[in-house]
Amino acid sequence: MNKFAFISPNGRVNIIRIFVLIALGCFPLLQDAYLLSQLTVFLVYGLFAMSLSLIWGYGGILCFGHAVFFGIGAYIMALTTKGMIPGMTGIFTSTLFALLLSIAGTALFASILGYFLFSGRLSGPYFGIVTLAVAVVAERIATKWDYIGGFNGLTNIPAFSIGGYEVLDPLVLFYVILGICLILYLISDRIVNAPFGTILSAVRDNEDRVEFFGYNIANLKILIFSISAGIAGLAGALFAVAAEFVSPTILGFSLSTEVLIWVALGGREILLAAFLGAISVRTIEALLSDILGYYWILGLGVLFILCVMFFPRGLFGQLLSNKPRN
Amino acid sequence: MLNITNLHASYGGSRILQGVNLQVAQGQIMALMGRNGMGKTTLMRTIMGLLRPSSGHIIFDGKPIQGRQSYKISSDGIGYVPQGREIFGDFTVAENLRLGALKFDRKNRDIPEEIFDYFPILAQRQDQLAGSFSGGEQQMLAIARALVGRPKLLLLDEPSEGIQPSIVDEIGQILKKINSEAGLTILIVEQNVDMVLEIADNFSFMEKGIIVHNCPVQEIKADESIITGYISV
Amino acid sequence: MADLPILLLNSFSYILVLILVAMGLVIIFGLMGVINMAHGEFFLLGAYTVVMTDSLGIGFWPGLILAPIIVGLVGLALEYFCIRFLYDRVLDTILATWGVSIAIKQLIIIFFGPAGLMVNPPLPQLVNMGLIEYPAYRLFIMLASLSVIGFTFFIFLKTDMGLAARAVIANRNMAASLGINTRQIYRNTFTFGSALAGLAGAIMAPLMSCDPQMGLGFFIPAFLAILVGGTGSLSGILAGGMVVGGSDSIISYLFSPVSSQIVVFTLAVIVIRIKPQGILGTKRNE
Repeated sequence: MNKFAFISPNGRVNIIRIFVLIALGCFPLLQDAYLLSQLTVFLVYGLFAMSLSLIWGYGGILCFGHAVFFGIGAYIMALTTKGMIPGMTGIFTSTLFALLLSIAGTALFASILGYFLFSGRLSGPYFGIVTLAVAVVAERIATKWDYIGGFNGLTNIPAFSIGGYEVLDPLVLFYVILGICLILYLISDRIVNAPFGTILSAVRDNEDRVEFFGYNIANLKILIFSISAGIAGLAGALFAVAAEFVSPTILGFSLSTEVLIWVALGGREILLAAFLGAISVRTIEALLSDILGYYWILGLGVLFILCVMFFPRGLFGQLLSNKPRN
Repeated sequence: MLNITNLHASYGGSRILQGVNLQVAQGQIMALMGRNGMGKTTLMRTIMGLLRPSSGHIIFDGKPIQGRQSYKISSDGIGYVPQGREIFGDFTVAENLRLGALKFDRKNRDIPEEIFDYFPILAQRQDQLAGSFSGGEQQMLAIARALVGRPKLLLLDEPSEGIQPSIVDEIGQILKKINSEAGLTILIVEQNVDMVLEIADNFSFMEKGIIVHNCPVQEIKADESIITGYISV
Repeated sequence: MADLPILLLNSFSYILVLILVAMGLVIIFGLMGVINMAHGEFFLLGAYTVVMTDSLGIGFWPGLILAPIIVGLVGLALEYFCIRFLYDRVLDTILATWGVSIAIKQLIIIFFGPAGLMVNPPLPQLVNMGLIEYPAYRLFIMLASLSVIGFTFFIFLKTDMGLAARAVIANRNMAASLGINTRQIYRNTFTFGSALAGLAGAIMAPLMSCDPQMGLGFFIPAFLAILVGGTGSLSGILAGGMVVGGSDSIISYLFSPVSSQIVVFTLAVIVIRIKPQGILGTKRNE
């Protein structure tokens, strides 16, 4: 057994992992402030995509409304650091506390939702669409709720601060978020390679057989759903800091759609592939969407269909897979 | 009528049929026997096109049918009564029977009168839900449903399973009658020795995915220990 | 208190259209295990067919006839070029049809623009119903939806085609062994279900502002209606449509659309928890 999750037996995959890390780490050398701030947000999206890959690719749970967790995390972050949650002042408005609260809050929400849905033995397709409904309803609520900014959302979110030191330099913020992404990647990778991850994959492939061995499927699913939601919530919280705003659009239908496309195109079964899927689609979008306009989303939709039909493992997934091509 | 050569098929990752050779001649009743898990049901399903063979040939009526879609095989003239009967329990008896005729043109979908001659009980209970029938009645319905499709060959998978002995006898007699009157060829998988000894012309024994022995019924009547050697545990 | 009959009639017409949408969704799901995520966009296509004929000056009625035909053909194409390759991968059919829904929505935006469009009211007059005066078009909606729902029930319960489809739902292999071409049944059903969505969209078009996002607004309640009613039988849809559509329109009227969405959604989740097979308790087809 390897002591470091980062080093797996497969050399090619490790080379790609290190290459990605170096490439991202060297990016600020380009000295383009606008691109850097963009990429900082894309990293957050990458983290978000990874959280979806965790339940979808590894757990076989299709979530059409994953942005709801991202959005809740972002709103908790914004409300907490702006001191808008009644009774919470001082230390309770610090970045670190807000981050923890974002993770805990979304994970709690997901576990309650999961309790109702998984224990009702809601099978794959049903579950996906119910989560879609959650996202749509959540977006409507956020739009109508004036206290949290209504349609316009919240702006002027305080900067990321660690022990009283405010991260105002975009370069430092970039590395802080890159670091968090790396840590979360290592943790997630650990989870999927641990016995729990193996059981999870077994649930994905044959639910009844796992149940036969005495595991409580519903609880397993609730657990991984909550973990995934917690990570999505963290990504949302980081988004609030990096983008300096939150609005109902990051809570609802369209971001849920986008993240699913990123992960499908990148490769749902590999965490890093999902991460790269998000970053590359967003990067291409940043470069091309002005030229292509509405045709960009049309093209993305068509690409998505083709990918589902012919490359279910995704574009990066094949590259990063240990399994042979079939 | 049916000529199977070197048929291989896998199910759920395990290789069940490992080179089956079997001939069923026109007008005969062939009993296929063997212990559980030897591949009898898999063979039936493969003939019916519900399972794709990995290699080998199934020639029916001079035409290769291996790998064809089930509905085409049915139209070629093979009727199928699966293990466990698989009647449509939520449908009426009339609907179950009509399902057997849907492959024909709209004007040819009437249920032939002979069906009710063979199974009078079905005539009286056409509007009853099939699920309310006893096991034996369901079996009769399943056979009748297959006959509505006017097959040249009937595949029967364990028709006596879970049915009281008197009805098993009755079903056996009806099958024999249809065989002799209408010339229907029958391939029957059965564990009930008494029943098949009564009706079958020929026997094939299956072990571990291949046919290990063929013989006419006379040979078995002369020495019943042949059967027990192949089917008792 | 003249409001109450109007409220009830409005709810009733909404329920019927919802049932129309949900019925298309549920027959496709019941038969093939495929949730057509583009179903909402088929509704959208139906509505925009009417928008198109209306703006071309041909008027509403030809559009109402054209909509189910066009959308049925789109459904047929979707089945032929995409769905049939994915029957063994149920979750992937959801994704692929979702991709289709994105593409259709975007095509509508490209051709018609993102803004809401109105259709000229086809039957602007009011009908005197004793206590109240009620829009003739809404009465037409009720009549049309009821007939199409009745027609669908008739097809499924009384015709050979329906019998074959029900047999495929109950036991696909057995149906195939009896000589029923299951692929053909799938294709017909997918086309029919799509056409229902197109018709529903065309019917609703004059009552609302048609915009590219309107499909989702019907897809989700229709889906919740299926969850509440259960997928085991067509009658489940009637019950589910009544519960979801009824509470949706009444709470919208009494409070607000947002609160009704929350209530309906919570209601559906609770039903899923207590009665996973739907309120009628029929067994779900796996």
